[in-house]
Amino acid sequence: MTTILITTNQGNITAELDAEKAPKTVANFIDYVNKGHFSNTIFHRVIKDFMIQGGGFEPGMKQKPTPATVENEAKNGLKNDKYTLAMARTSDPHSASAQFFINTKNNAFLDYPGQDGWGYAVFGKVTEGQDVVDALNNVKTARGGMHSDVPVDPVIIEKIEVL
Amino acid sequence: MTLPARPFALFISDLHLQVSHPRTVDAFLRFLAERAVHTERLYLLGDIFEYWAGDDDIADPFHQTIITAIRAVADTGVAVFWIAGNRDFLVGPGFADAAHLTLLQEPQVIEAGQRRIALVHGDAQCTLDTNYMAFRAQVRDPAWQAQFLGMPLAQRKGIIAGLREGSREAHTGKSYETMDVTSEAVTDVFASLDADVIIHGHTHRPAVHAHGDKLRYVLPDWELDDAPPRGGWIELYPDGTITPVGLARPAEAAAPPTRPTAA
Repeated sequence: MTTILITTNQGNITAELDAEKAPKTVANFIDYVNKGHFSNTIFHRVIKDFMIQGGGFEPGMKQKPTPATVENEAKNGLKNDKYTLAMARTSDPHSASAQFFINTKNNAFLDYPGQDGWGYAVFGKVTEGQDVVDALNNVKTARGGMHSDVPVDPVIIEKIEVL
Repeated sequence: MTLPARPFALFISDLHLQVSHPRTVDAFLRFLAERAVHTERLYLLGDIFEYWAGDDDIADPFHQTIITAIRAVADTGVAVFWIAGNRDFLVGPGFADAAHLTLLQEPQVIEAGQRRIALVHGDAQCTLDTNYMAFRAQVRDPAWQAQFLGMPLAQRKGIIAGLREGSREAHTGKSYETMDVTSEAVTDVFASLDADVIIHGHTHRPAVHAHGDKLRYVLPDWELDDAPPRGGWIELYPDGTITPVGLARPAEAAAPPTRPTAA
């Protein structure tokens, strides 16, 4: 079990990643962690009682390049339960790269096969800092240019590290 | 990435729920438990019940099953809204209080993305069916309803049973065109509400129609006890995307009824 620490400007979140059930997803994620990709990124998309999403943009909504994508492992039996971590993606099922989200509700409709026959791959769960996740769930959001559901006060991921 | 996405609203109609159709009821209960909890608003767009004789029938065990299931959805934080159909227009504040939903008059307009979406059941737009339009004018009159609801429940049920039989007979004499919305009525809805889209049910003819650069989505009816099996709903996303969903997925496949079929 790989454990990571997400340090944000609004509290810390510890999560266990399930390398047994989501080997490719965890390996891809740890690779981005080790390259320092997540440092100075933000949770840029927060929809109350749905999920908080981040790891792709710097403060100011400047997108960070993400060269590596990962195969969709949503069929691994893990559910998009509250406080689980899952990979964000486009409609291309294997387009997940670095952006991830933390479910803030039991989102069974995201589980394989989901709406599109693929679903969203769960690869870990929050083990400490659920209260921080709860607080982030409630942050005030607004439209920011082309993006909606952007936290008004930036939620900055200062770094993610493997413990 | 704007995925994962969750619908902003779900629209469903024409379930015609009745004790004699347990598989259809089960499919609706599964929809409520598995789909309707994953949205912000649920719009019930009419003919949810095959008939409704009055809110004094709420205590009926079958009605309690439906009310309890709707209330469970509302209690998770989903805003549930009800627009009357031609079968269940006598649903009133008693039902709304019990189910934790809000009664809406039609037409309603909802906005998402850059789109204004008009919501109606669809019966008021079938203007070629002059017999029905006259009947509708009568039974939607509050004075008529007060008088009708003053009768004993058993008597109302008897009258309704007679009306349903008469409706079945009348259908055989009506043309295909008569039993659909007219283009004049549709144009009127678009214009009077400055709407880009209409979502309605009633006709049981699921489709997407273009009217110039405007779109009209028609919901399906639900039927899982008789052939052919049918059902579905419409999803509206925060950016204005509209997605009709059919009952084609494993989770919604008709399952054996969980209670004995009515004899």
